[in-house]
Amino acid sequence: MFLIIKRLWHVNWAEQWQYRANLIMYLLYWLVSPIIYLAVWTSIANVKGEVNGFTANDFITYYMLLLVVDQITSNIVIHTFGYKIQDGSLSGELIKPIHPMLTNALVNNVAFKMLTIMGLVPIWIILFFLYKPDFSSASLAGILLAIPAMLLAFFIGYLLSAAITALAFWTTRVYSIHEFYFALILLFSGQFVPLTLMPQVIQDIAQYLPFQLLIYYPIQLILGRLSIEQIIHGYVMSFVWLGIALLFFNWVWRNGVKRYSAVGA
Amino acid sequence: MHTLKLLSAFFKVNVQMALAYRADTVVNILLNLMWLGWELLSLSIIFSNTETLGGWGIGELIALLGVFRLVNTLMIALVWPNTEKFNQSIRDGSMDYTILQPVNSMFLVTFSRITVWRIWDLVLAVILIVVGIHMAGDVTSPIQILTFVLLAITGTIIIYSLWIVLIALTFWFTKFDNNVTILQALMDAGRYPVTVYPVWLRVIVTFIIPIAVATTIPLQALRGELLSGQVFMYIAISIASFWVASIVWKAGLKRYSGASS
Repeated sequence: MFLIIKRLWHVNWAEQWQYRANLIMYLLYWLVSPIIYLAVWTSIANVKGEVNGFTANDFITYYMLLLVVDQITSNIVIHTFGYKIQDGSLSGELIKPIHPMLTNALVNNVAFKMLTIMGLVPIWIILFFLYKPDFSSASLAGILLAIPAMLLAFFIGYLLSAAITALAFWTTRVYSIHEFYFALILLFSGQFVPLTLMPQVIQDIAQYLPFQLLIYYPIQLILGRLSIEQIIHGYVMSFVWLGIALLFFNWVWRNGVKRYSAVGA
Repeated sequence: MHTLKLLSAFFKVNVQMALAYRADTVVNILLNLMWLGWELLSLSIIFSNTETLGGWGIGELIALLGVFRLVNTLMIALVWPNTEKFNQSIRDGSMDYTILQPVNSMFLVTFSRITVWRIWDLVLAVILIVVGIHMAGDVTSPIQILTFVLLAITGTIIIYSLWIVLIALTFWFTKFDNNVTILQALMDAGRYPVTVYPVWLRVIVTFIIPIAVATTIPLQALRGELLSGQVFMYIAISIASFWVASIVWKAGLKRYSGASS
């Protein structure tokens, strides 16, 4: 198994490396909205002194960590896999003795991530000198706590996206469903603004959804903003959602593949 | 007259395409409504924490959102689908047929594909602008409205010219599929007034990818904040950029030799 993964890694790394111009474009594209929100909120905080307890520096540290956390926990499985079901190129992968989504596509995602993070580092350093954030509230303990949380979040996010992608076995409009899912992330993950500035209803719902685990929870861990109870609550939610995501993905995949072989080949 | 006939023919073909995928069209309109809801919600979240953003109130921000959606819709309905078609035509050589037509090739490349259902989005954008201005309580004179419309058009022409230059570069680089991604990415910055951005970002969205020229500046004209000299400057810039774009386009066409040869 290790050998297979190693081989898959070589292939996918080479493939991603070949499209590095594409990757840089993607990276720029994905950087824009956090930087816009950063500008909007710091300009408000600068005028008013603070926004509900958030100073300009709080917003800067929040969005700068968001850039990293989002890059680690997000995935592009919809873009790299969705078309394979529709155009039938999945057939070749299905006859191999390894799971196409849980091996090849996963390794492909990690290779993509490695490259974009390499691209992110210099940009992040430039932003650091432009904004001079004060990261004194971040601690080593917080970072150590956040690493497993981000890994869990990546797998939760990956499995949910993979399940949505696998809905392509039934419908051709999987991109529309994905857009709806993306809107939920925007609303409940803390991508637009730290969740405590959202309306109370949204905060209450977000508590029980997996989306805040992708962005808001790891950032709060790093910044040391959570009580022991909140940290435990986050980890419990992570494991619960990992279980749910696994079950959901498995169910969609199994039934989907049955449909695919019945219709496609 | 000839041009108008062509445009209406393009329009008819594209309406038929939209009708062929009716369910898809309905889903897209619903998704579009969802994003409008999100945009208004995000504005209300911002303004529940502050009264002004970069010196502008909520009414002005709603009007700005309207202008942004106006420009953005033109991009989504016209520019992106045609870019995709253009990139493909360079790769497979079907650009040959476009050049052979007895019509301006730049015109053909721009208008042959239209996402027709987006028209209702333009109506929505105009409603947002009217409601926003009303909420802001600005007193607008007919001359201000006129300059607003004029500057919105010049801003759109400037962005259009930039787009033409970006896709014309494909004639030199052949494989240049990402030609407009950067344009698409920075478009989003037009949602908010440029006054909130740090100087370096303001420079980018005003001079390099001039989205601010098509969004913030027309609204400034509407609020009577622009001097007549500035208005003429923007008009001159738009004419100049269109002229440069058509020169680059023609130079590119000369480079084009078909995909097979």
